[in-house]
Amino acid sequence: MISFKNVRKSFGEREVLKGISFDVPEGQILFILGTSGTGKSVLLKNIVGLLKPTSGEIYIDEQEVSKLTEKQMFPIRRKCGMVFQQPALFDSLTIFENVAFGLRKHQPELTETQVRDRVKECLALVHLHGIESKKPQEISYGMQKRVSLARTVAVNPRILLFDEPTTGLDPVTTNAINNLILELSRKLKTTSMVVSHDMQCALEIADHILVLDKGSIVDQGTPNQLKKSKQPLVQDFLKEALNAEISH
Amino acid sequence: MLKSLTDLVDDIGNCLLFVWDVIVTAFTTPCSFTSVSDQTWKVTMQSLPTTAMAGFFVGAIMTVQFTMQITTFGALGYLGGLSTSGTVREVGPLLIAFLLSGKIGAFTSAELGTMQVTEQIDAIRCLGANPIQEIILPRFIGIIVASFFLLAAGLVMSVFGGMLLGQVFSGINPEEYLRHIPTIVTRYSIASGLFKCFVFAILLASICTYKGYSTRGGAKGVGRAVVSTAVLTMVGIVVSDWITSLFSDTFLNMYLGS
Repeated sequence: MISFKNVRKSFGEREVLKGISFDVPEGQILFILGTSGTGKSVLLKNIVGLLKPTSGEIYIDEQEVSKLTEKQMFPIRRKCGMVFQQPALFDSLTIFENVAFGLRKHQPELTETQVRDRVKECLALVHLHGIESKKPQEISYGMQKRVSLARTVAVNPRILLFDEPTTGLDPVTTNAINNLILELSRKLKTTSMVVSHDMQCALEIADHILVLDKGSIVDQGTPNQLKKSKQPLVQDFLKEALNAEISH
Repeated sequence: MLKSLTDLVDDIGNCLLFVWDVIVTAFTTPCSFTSVSDQTWKVTMQSLPTTAMAGFFVGAIMTVQFTMQITTFGALGYLGGLSTSGTVREVGPLLIAFLLSGKIGAFTSAELGTMQVTEQIDAIRCLGANPIQEIILPRFIGIIVASFFLLAAGLVMSVFGGMLLGQVFSGINPEEYLRHIPTIVTRYSIASGLFKCFVFAILLASICTYKGYSTRGGAKGVGRAVVSTAVLTMVGIVVSDWITSLFSDTFLNMYLGS
């Protein structure tokens, strides 16, 4: 379970998160929606300690993580897998080495054959085959995003964090990635947090949705609850989702 | 003006903390031998042709310059020793440092900067690894070790270049050219050259890895990091050359004698 208690984050004079509090129960998929620059990615990066909150507390499995040092964060990060906005694959490594990277760090006891099998299995999970020897720049952006997903799940994280996983992708790949998130979360029984602009996808796969505006939570609830929301920003997102559905 | 000064002090402080972090990591959680040798090989191979060519011409230039000076004194026999001593003590290490700064410094800074802005470094942290251990330390050590290999290659080529020009320009045969090198190039000259090379390499490795690692702000940020790496390393090398010359003269002289 993940808990935010009155978390604030400022960059100089600018306060990006203004006292955020919420809980994500184990095994649930939480979507965080909001326009650009509202602090969604900042919120996610605070969980894994890539950023530190200015004040407030963050709990992962009842352990306060916001005050931990970089070294103390290592075991926490092993519980979490983060898929970044960009694929963030290591350019100098092959796809195989990219997916095996975390695996070799987390489980040094694995033999080379076991690593090879696990990499194959993870690439198959994201519907990719036979690209192990390629370099990231030799495959498409959508495929890179899926490899990034495979690299994250390879280490069997209990918490999956997605930072705008479908940004910059065509509708077909977007759909495929959204289905993957649902499939992986259910199959691997992970707790997932997805930062997105995509209300339609949130309505389809989220257990709970949180709407963020200017660093504060303006609305939250299950997809059905949000469909009835009178909040203007939520209304805008719903209209956009409806338009997208009609155009499909 | 005051802000630029405080920014500079802030930057130097952060760079020192970063280097301290690298040193602590090197002793507590060292990186693999393979990754260091990979980086050393890469840096050496990338700069070897340029260094060898520059070394050759430096030797040639030194010979021409010294010929013009010492012919007046009838001391052409010392040409090889004098020009090699000058190259070993000063010009060689300085030249290697400038070449590495332009080539490897800018390359490393751009590479790390791109990794930073494309979230690759964050990804390493999220995968439970330490980016200092994984990507900084091998590059840091690789640049330092490669500097010595390149210095050696550059010096050999400079002797060769000097010898050739000695024959063509000054009419000194190779045997004559080489004869006085062991007498004029002392232990002190070699120690001084090696010490300078070490200091310049540390300076270059620190600045380029720090600037790359602390890059912010997309492609523009990478550009800024590369430019400031080039400027800072050039200025840093010249300033540290003066400091090391002073240090070499006072301390090394005391222990080794000139």
